[in-house]
Amino acid sequence: MSDLKNAGKYYWHYLKKYWRGFILSTLLIAFSTWCIVIAPTYLGRAVEELTTYLSQWTNPATRAQASLGTFNHTLVIYVLLYVGDAASIFISSLILARVTAYSTGTMRVGLFRKMQRMRVQYFDTHSDGDILARFTSDLDNIFNAMNQALLEILLAVAQFVGLLIVMFNQNTTMAWVTMASTPVALIIAAFVMRKAGKAVNQQQDDIGQLNGYINEQITGQKVLITNGLQADSIKGFSGYNAKVRQSALSGQIWSGILNPLMQGMSLLNTAIVIFFGSWLALNGSMSKGAALALVVVFVNYAQQYYQPIMSLTSLYSMIQLAITGARRVDEVRQQPDEVNPRDGGQLDGIQHELKIDDVYFSYLPGKEILHGITINVHKGEMVALVGPTGSGKTTVMNLLNRFYDVDSGQITFDGTDIRTFDLNVLRENVGIVLQEPQLFTGTIADNIRYGEPTADMARVVDAAKQANIHDFIESLPDGYSTLVSDEQSVFSAGQKQLMSIARTILTNPRLLILDEATSNVDTVTEAKIQAAMDNVIQGRTSFVIAHRLKTILNADKIVVLKDGAIIEQGNHAALLQANGFYAELYRNQMVFE
Amino acid sequence: MKVLMTYFKRYRVDVWIALLSVIVLVFATLWQPRLLQVVMNAIIANDQQTVFREGLMLLGLAALGIIGGIVNTIYSARVALGVATDLRADLYAKIQSFAYADVEKFSASNLVVRMTNDINQVQQIVMAGFQQITRIPLLFAGALILALVTMPEQWWVIVLMMVVILLASWIAVKRMTKYFAQTQQNIENVNTVARENLMGIRVVKSFVQEPNEIKKFSTASDALTLVTAKIGYWFAILMPIFFLAANLAVGVAVYLVGQNITTHPGYLAAITSFISYLMQILYAVINGGFLMTFASRAFISLGRIQEVLTTEPSMTYVEGDDAPLKGDISFEHVTFTYPGDDQPTLRDVSFTAPAGAMLGIVGATGSGKTTLAQLIARLYDPDSGVIKVGGVDVRQIPEKALRATVAYVLQRSTLFSGTISGNLKQVSPDAELNHMRWAANVAQASEFIERLPRTYDAPVEERSQNFSGGQKQRLAITRGVIANPEILILDDATSALDARSEKLVQEALDRDLKTTTTVVIAEKIASIIRADQILVMDNGQISGSGTHRDLLKTNRIYQEIYATQKAREEGLK
Repeated sequence: MSDLKNAGKYYWHYLKKYWRGFILSTLLIAFSTWCIVIAPTYLGRAVEELTTYLSQWTNPATRAQASLGTFNHTLVIYVLLYVGDAASIFISSLILARVTAYSTGTMRVGLFRKMQRMRVQYFDTHSDGDILARFTSDLDNIFNAMNQALLEILLAVAQFVGLLIVMFNQNTTMAWVTMASTPVALIIAAFVMRKAGKAVNQQQDDIGQLNGYINEQITGQKVLITNGLQADSIKGFSGYNAKVRQSALSGQIWSGILNPLMQGMSLLNTAIVIFFGSWLALNGSMSKGAALALVVVFVNYAQQYYQPIMSLTSLYSMIQLAITGARRVDEVRQQPDEVNPRDGGQLDGIQHELKIDDVYFSYLPGKEILHGITINVHKGEMVALVGPTGSGKTTVMNLLNRFYDVDSGQITFDGTDIRTFDLNVLRENVGIVLQEPQLFTGTIADNIRYGEPTADMARVVDAAKQANIHDFIESLPDGYSTLVSDEQSVFSAGQKQLMSIARTILTNPRLLILDEATSNVDTVTEAKIQAAMDNVIQGRTSFVIAHRLKTILNADKIVVLKDGAIIEQGNHAALLQANGFYAELYRNQMVFE
Repeated sequence: MKVLMTYFKRYRVDVWIALLSVIVLVFATLWQPRLLQVVMNAIIANDQQTVFREGLMLLGLAALGIIGGIVNTIYSARVALGVATDLRADLYAKIQSFAYADVEKFSASNLVVRMTNDINQVQQIVMAGFQQITRIPLLFAGALILALVTMPEQWWVIVLMMVVILLASWIAVKRMTKYFAQTQQNIENVNTVARENLMGIRVVKSFVQEPNEIKKFSTASDALTLVTAKIGYWFAILMPIFFLAANLAVGVAVYLVGQNITTHPGYLAAITSFISYLMQILYAVINGGFLMTFASRAFISLGRIQEVLTTEPSMTYVEGDDAPLKGDISFEHVTFTYPGDDQPTLRDVSFTAPAGAMLGIVGATGSGKTTLAQLIARLYDPDSGVIKVGGVDVRQIPEKALRATVAYVLQRSTLFSGTISGNLKQVSPDAELNHMRWAANVAQASEFIERLPRTYDAPVEERSQNFSGGQKQRLAITRGVIANPEILILDDATSALDARSEKLVQEALDRDLKTTTTVVIAEKIASIIRADQILVMDNGQISGSGTHRDLLKTNRIYQEIYATQKAREEGLK
């Protein structure tokens, strides 16, 4: 139920500005409904006129009076009503198509804007696939539902109401007769839909499991082949496959059966109306022409009567998906934004020192990761963070440009808490090279000037040279105009890393954080990256997260972290002499005879 | 389509019932207006008995329609699911018979899509096929014939209506096809920006590029919005035109009936049934159009499935003794090119390694280390030259014997979801707890496994994501050694282990698997420094071979790699 509420709020937020369009469409739809329900009465009247004409014409006494004038006149109105119907449906469809396209467009951009404002924590705790699915399948479901369901729902409701009004205006008895089977139809529909809902859920669960199995097995095909496990894998597959067959069969049957049932109800209803109508015609007090007209009209109504119910039930699953979709997108919308102080302070590099002062931090409440970290860094110094996986090295980096904020303690630049600086200014001062470089679609030049799109080519080339990647770029047929896309990667991990270093060099950050590349790079390439990193570090205050100790031997300060606390601190020589954790680590990593 | 026929044959009875019920359903739908006409005539003629009799018939017809519809749904579903299940099973069996090169040719993710989406498309079209596709032509033909029988003079009204409808559809479809293609492209653009920003959110934020990214995304999104709106506009005009055409046709028909009522007084009662038939023709045409687009998509899927089913595995195994062979390895002038490449990845590689030895392989990324190891496990066959395991050409070794001889541990060889013991027993079905413990001890995994609440029965999630990188590798090595292989290949399989654990693993291998030939591929020289023989790979060739000491003296590339890894200060021993 709260799903529905959240979804409702979500749609209200994005659709309220289209209220004029909705009102106009609703009016037009009401008009078209009026045309549609009123039209059969004119057809009925035409038939009545024709019957009268025929009987007058057959009787020689009245033949002279017989005229088709009224008949023709009625027919013209009948046709005009349908022209009116078509015109108003056309206009309201246009309006709704526009509303749908533009409102989902706004939703899409809104979601993206939100994404840019959200805290990094959200991205760390949700899989990329899950967030991306909100852009793709969830927004898609919302679009589909609005595109198809909006008009249908309005039409269905309008038609149903219109039909009831017209029927009761025409003939109360016949109206009740037409409606007589409704409770039965509703009970059947509710029953079948409940069954179908359950069966389809089961089916989706089983299909999900089957797909998961297939995905895991085929992605791990190398393991299957090298261990000779193919037959085993087929055996496991058969179980899932058989299960899907069972549950999908009942899912398909229950959800497929509603339509023929309702169609059958509609036929049944027609039969009932004919029965009763002809009984009225034969036994009632009406003239035969009027009675016949009544039957013609109500047969028409009886056939239309279940249309709205049928179209609503066929839209049910689509609407369900759109509600879920809106709930999921709205969930993102409700996430907290990054905290940017109002009138945040300006910052122009670190003049004297950076201080990490007794910092405690936890990603999840109750699971503290950093337990009182204190590091002092003077301007221009290089600090290396060393320690086993999970010791908190990356966490320290996350705090320095406020991807996360400390629980207690503070980080200060020249004595000022970084949380008081303007967030953007802070980040412009802090440059980061990530372990897994991320390039963006565009040219190499675009990627290098990513942080400063206005930079000229001379600066791009200069940055590339400092990053030891210029020669490689020049060797490409298109040079700096070579297109980069993250999927069809013609670049090795090492080359991407060098480009991301060039990207950072170009922005000339005052404080630098380097997360050293580890895997996927052989040691020769690594040496090249190292040389580039050395270039960047020159003359800057820097933090280096080191995985291979060789790279940090000449750091001004080496901080050894273990389980979120500092266990050793000092330069290489001092730490070796201390013969503690660092010395052990160092001896282990190096090649010794 | 031929593929489907063979599957339909397995469900012959269901197919026939589904088809017969469609005919019943169509009959019920088409006959109803006819009966209605009779009833009307009876009302005009004041014939109460006929009204009653035909009314009952009408009720019977409704019941027949309901039964026909339900039976049709049930049996269509049975056929559709039977066919989909069988097709999926055959497809999966086929994929499992593939050589690794075949899997790569299609790509794993592509095969997954064929197993899931494409099969689903086929299932839906089969279902729709037995429900709709058979019904629409029947309804169309039936309604057309009955309309003509009812009022033969008005054939041209029907033709005119259809011409208008088809012309309008033709124009609209031509325009919309263009827009649909654009939509696809636009959706991809939008998704690319979104995905890049998701993966690179830290980059975006640290370079303070949020406003530019929003601009980029808005441009892509607005283009999509515009095309979507255009498609919407075309649909907005299409439907009203269809219905207007049909209703105008009704108007014209009724007018004509009126003008000629004196010659055909019977037509008075036929007006309603004629209108019904006109409407049924309209619905048949509209639904036919929708189904055609739907079916064309399904046929593309079917083609993609067929492509897999008709691909023959590029590698076959000889039949014979399953017993494992000895662990000596030899390469004789082996040259190998990956399918689709024009440059060979291995060129004229020759070496021998005796059983029980430790063979190290080093070299830059892309020098052919992994390729070499994969040929031992016969993931591919060489272009030329011979690879022997236990003195036998690997192409002459039965599959089971080869798998029992060679265990291959990949850098990212995750376990499958289930339990730890389940994964181990997959490889070594009779393994008891003691044996699992032994294997875990060798891989330095027992320490953390024993600390898990359910130890060896601890769950393994998808992609083993409930274990850290180092733990995953240890588990993979455990699986590698549990069957006591004659040859154990560790393809960068200790990269996430710290130096100390790596050393312990190697010592345990030396101690507990003495007769096993160990092939170690590594980036770090420290990992292979103790090998009996080290191969230095360079650009697909062996540039040197020998022990660490030999190579340090003689091999330039080895020296270079060593130089990047050794300590800067020499005196720190």
